[in-house]
Amino acid sequence: MAAKLTYEEHELVSSLRQKNEEAFSYLYEHYSGALYGVIKQIVIDTELGNDVLQETFVNIWRRIDSYDETKGRLFTWMLNIARNAAIDKTRSKGFQQSQKQVPLDGDVIQPSVRPGVDDYGLKRLILKLKDEQRLLIDLSYFQGYTHQQIATALHIPLGTVKTRIRSALTQLRALMQ
Amino acid sequence: MNVKEYISSGIIESYVLGLASEAESQEFEQNCVQYPEIAQARTAFEIALEEKMLEDAVAVPLPLKQKIDEKIKSSTFETATEYLEDERTPVRQIGAWRWIAAASLILLVVSLYWTISTTKKYRDLQAQNKELQEKIQQSTAQVSDMQDDMEKLKHPMKTAALKSEDDRAYAIVYWDTVSASRNVYLMINNLPQAPTDKQYQLWALLNNEPIDLGMIEVKQKRLLYQMKNVQNAQAFAITLEPKGGSEKPTTAPIALSNL
Repeated sequence: MAAKLTYEEHELVSSLRQKNEEAFSYLYEHYSGALYGVIKQIVIDTELGNDVLQETFVNIWRRIDSYDETKGRLFTWMLNIARNAAIDKTRSKGFQQSQKQVPLDGDVIQPSVRPGVDDYGLKRLILKLKDEQRLLIDLSYFQGYTHQQIATALHIPLGTVKTRIRSALTQLRALMQ
Repeated sequence: MNVKEYISSGIIESYVLGLASEAESQEFEQNCVQYPEIAQARTAFEIALEEKMLEDAVAVPLPLKQKIDEKIKSSTFETATEYLEDERTPVRQIGAWRWIAAASLILLVVSLYWTISTTKKYRDLQAQNKELQEKIQQSTAQVSDMQDDMEKLKHPMKTAALKSEDDRAYAIVYWDTVSASRNVYLMINNLPQAPTDKQYQLWALLNNEPIDLGMIEVKQKRLLYQMKNVQNAQAFAITLEPKGGSEKPTTAPIALSNL
């Protein structure tokens, strides 16, 4: 199965690099739902989520030449484009006005679980983690704060933030299987 | 390096999910090249993640694909600029704009300088042109005056030379006795500079009676000075009179002639 996927992916990438629209449509049909799921868990708002998905696929089309298969799989690359686009959107002015998002500091911590949004995908897995681990994954992965920002906000040493996030991630992986 | 420990440290998940720092990512990529096991472990997690996310896929609103296709087809022209934004290299963009701004500023300064200097040259040329035109007008007028004078001299005229005893004053009277007008012209060869309060006056003499023929106003580049007409005369004389002239000579003539 893995070998076949790799082969198909290799073919898909070279077709996309040749700006093959059929390959692009295949890519969209195959992956848009998965990426949309992640985007919605970050952006929540449907309208903004649609914008982010559009941006994501336009960027995939335009930047396929910068994808380096030695560094990871195509999906990983696309997932990071989608996540970055979604986090960028939550930092845009319009989003902050509509969501009344408050900058991260020690006193104000966003609720890490939102009903309706969090009952599928990675978020559902995160629910199974300890509260503290869940908070760290939410802040870093879904809200895009850097380890340093989290360390400052939660008054935890940077090294501790890093090891705790890593341990949360390995647990998350175990939960995936 | 303990590869197994490294693999289970969480770095793989951290890298794949985009949570590793720049330094950690670089180190991880090197390790993947050096230790195929690490690369394999990475791929295994990537596949697991991909499968998990495909499982949890969410239905996408239908019209989105059409919008994306439209954007992609129309984007061929705008790719260049938007690509820069995507790559997050505002520095390069600002750099380009800075160069363009600098270039246009230089262009503006150069063209302003050119405009100013050209305008100045144009004005200078205009002034020079005007000056030349005035000079030509003056010269043309002088030439035409001279030609008039020459024409006058072609008439058969009586002449009388007026000379002082010391030869310092010397003038010639041309008297047109042929035409009815009886014009009198004076050609000055030399006249000493008159004192500022005095002026030379020309007289005709008839039966020892002086007749005023007018003041001699020495202008440069004039061949003949037209004086007052006189019907009859036996001699001409020049006297030095107070400025404005006298009805009768108040001094002895400095130059005298007989016809």
